[in-house]
Amino acid sequence: MILATSLSYTYPVGSRPALREITLSIRAGELVLVTGPTAAGKTTLCYALSGIIQHEFGGTLTGYLAFRDRPVADYAGVGELNRYISMVFDDADAQLIFTSVEEELASGLETRLNSREEINERITRVMELCGISHLRERPPYTLSGGQKQRVAIAAALAMDTEVLILDEPTSELDVHATGNIIKTLKNLKKEGKTIIIVDHSLEGYRNVADRVLVMKEGRIEREGTFEEIFPETQGNMNVLYEDPDLVPYKPVNNNPIVRIDTLKKRYGDVQALNGVSVTLYDGEFIALLGENGSGKTTLVKHLNGLLRPDSGSVLVKSLDAAVAPVIDLVKETGLVFQNPDTMLFADSVEEEILFGLGNIGSADPQKTIKEVLAMVGLSGSEPVYPRHLSRGERQRLAVACILAMKPGIIILDEPTTGLDDRESDRMMELMMTLQRNGHTIIMVTHNMRIAEEYADRIIAMENGRVIGDYTNLRRKAA
Amino acid sequence: MSEILQYIPGKSFLHHLSPVTKLLLVVVIVGLSVLSSQVPFLCILIVILVIGTLFSGLIRELIHQVPFLLMLSFFLVILTSLTVQEGELLLTLIPSSDPAVQGFGITMGGLIFGVVLSLRFVVMITAFQLFVITTKPSDLVTGLLTFRLPVDYVLMLLIALRFIPSLQLEAKRIHEAQLCRGYNPGTGISGKIRSLKPIMIPLVANSLAKTQVLGLTLDMRGYRSRKTLPLHQLVFGRGDYICAFLGVLILAIFLYIHLLPLI
Repeated sequence: MILATSLSYTYPVGSRPALREITLSIRAGELVLVTGPTAAGKTTLCYALSGIIQHEFGGTLTGYLAFRDRPVADYAGVGELNRYISMVFDDADAQLIFTSVEEELASGLETRLNSREEINERITRVMELCGISHLRERPPYTLSGGQKQRVAIAAALAMDTEVLILDEPTSELDVHATGNIIKTLKNLKKEGKTIIIVDHSLEGYRNVADRVLVMKEGRIEREGTFEEIFPETQGNMNVLYEDPDLVPYKPVNNNPIVRIDTLKKRYGDVQALNGVSVTLYDGEFIALLGENGSGKTTLVKHLNGLLRPDSGSVLVKSLDAAVAPVIDLVKETGLVFQNPDTMLFADSVEEEILFGLGNIGSADPQKTIKEVLAMVGLSGSEPVYPRHLSRGERQRLAVACILAMKPGIIILDEPTTGLDDRESDRMMELMMTLQRNGHTIIMVTHNMRIAEEYADRIIAMENGRVIGDYTNLRRKAA
Repeated sequence: MSEILQYIPGKSFLHHLSPVTKLLLVVVIVGLSVLSSQVPFLCILIVILVIGTLFSGLIRELIHQVPFLLMLSFFLVILTSLTVQEGELLLTLIPSSDPAVQGFGITMGGLIFGVVLSLRFVVMITAFQLFVITTKPSDLVTGLLTFRLPVDYVLMLLIALRFIPSLQLEAKRIHEAQLCRGYNPGTGISGKIRSLKPIMIPLVANSLAKTQVLGLTLDMRGYRSRKTLPLHQLVFGRGDYICAFLGVLILAIFLYIHLLPLI
């Protein structure tokens, strides 16, 4: 189906090749899983195989690439290739163009299918497959990140092309939703579709992927069946509540730092928090675990005044978080958002950190900047333009910005999204160091693996309630 | 948070009208408001729009707009009062040294021109807004395509409308992220402008980063060479024909009356 021979590519602005000597043959009906660290060239490979590089991007491309035994360069652009190939990009929000889910799926179908009935039938079927039937009339801005990803996948599936290329389509989905998508892909494979998928969470593809490509620095480093590449279980797919290493939580000290009592919060029709009561103690490393929409982020936003309770109380140290000004609360609790790009705006790393310090009036900013940069492993990058850093570095810079303000409590919202395993472990090591230095760490996540490996207390949430509070023995053993 | 210019589902008369009819009515109303400089007539147009809003159950959305419209009117009246010097002088700001010549100040002519201009803006903004929020975006597209607007431009409008709430949401998220760093929205006009930087730069940079994926998605769905968009069949009802007919009739009569003296 797809044949690449010593394919190399350098982006127009790039100095180093993003792809090096890729030789690859993909048969019809094969499911290929592509994985590897950040910036290994996985996304670029997707762009290359879909013909986007040949027809849309500049840069230098050498080697040979053919699709259905015909050189990709001979096709009349992406306009012709899209009849055979559809692609899901990693930014779900940007690829929803239309103003309702239904239209999103209908777009591109009117030239493929003859009648309105056929289009309707197709849309209905794909929505069922992806579990989004209830979202049919919804405009994109009302969807959560995970729902947007499912709509983007559905829009690609609706095209019913022979080849489907998916670039990290499940990064914001929880285990359950990811499982459903993988099941759908498995069925499509049975129908004879060729599927190429980039993903970081791997275990779900055991017995599904025909082949695994591990990329590194633009090359295919290893290639083989899933069993050959990953003989051991990758990550943890266990259901939390059956885990023998979790025992009911017992406080480790007597210094409560956050006291939340029957906290309720409602957004419109949704009861986001429905009576949460929990006490957090000084120096803990807490993972707040739960599926999409369980109220984790809503809960932590109450700790620094971004949200105020409808009823119930939140005490942070001696401050009443229901009424205390945000400027006072942020000196106690630092919240690092999921996407570092929502905060980075300055022209240099130094200025970026200085912003927070200036706001709270720090005594010796230069010394603090040096210290926090050393702590997050970014020493010497003071003059760098923040957006030129890699994703993992930007995430650590975001932590540094918050850290510089010296809050006792550090909250991280999904700190490992968009990071590969190596970068996420590095992030977590940093958090462990901060814990040793006396900070209390609260980590919001849906990633079981990092919760179990690093947190010493795991609080599970569902539908706006705390459904479990555990001491994590596994981490202690490690 | 209220979303700007987003379709609000409903079952009213306005919702049921075909987008083409509604677009025609908007053109007629805007046309009338531009042609007429009579305050009472413009007021009648506003009353008609308010009645239309009441009937479609969207009066709350309109009330939300009132402060904005009042502010706009206020600035327009100030601007015209200071720039248009016509008719009786109501308030002298700079007296003239020559008693025969009128001084500089707020004049009747300037004031009336300001009021007329404000009313026109109110009519246009309300009419357009009513059209957009009672029309499904896909129908809106159909309507515009019926008027032979090029697909590219229609798609641009559609994408612009689609991303307004996304940008609002992103701005809110950025605002929260900066609050976490002790961000303090400045006071006074210069402070306000300076304090926009930490919000605007990530907003613009993140939006620009989205454009590549957006463009590629359009390409992958085949919109590069497309001459149509996902179409919804246009359905004309009796109400459509009556409204369209009345709209055109009123415009014709109006033009006739206005242009007759010129011939």
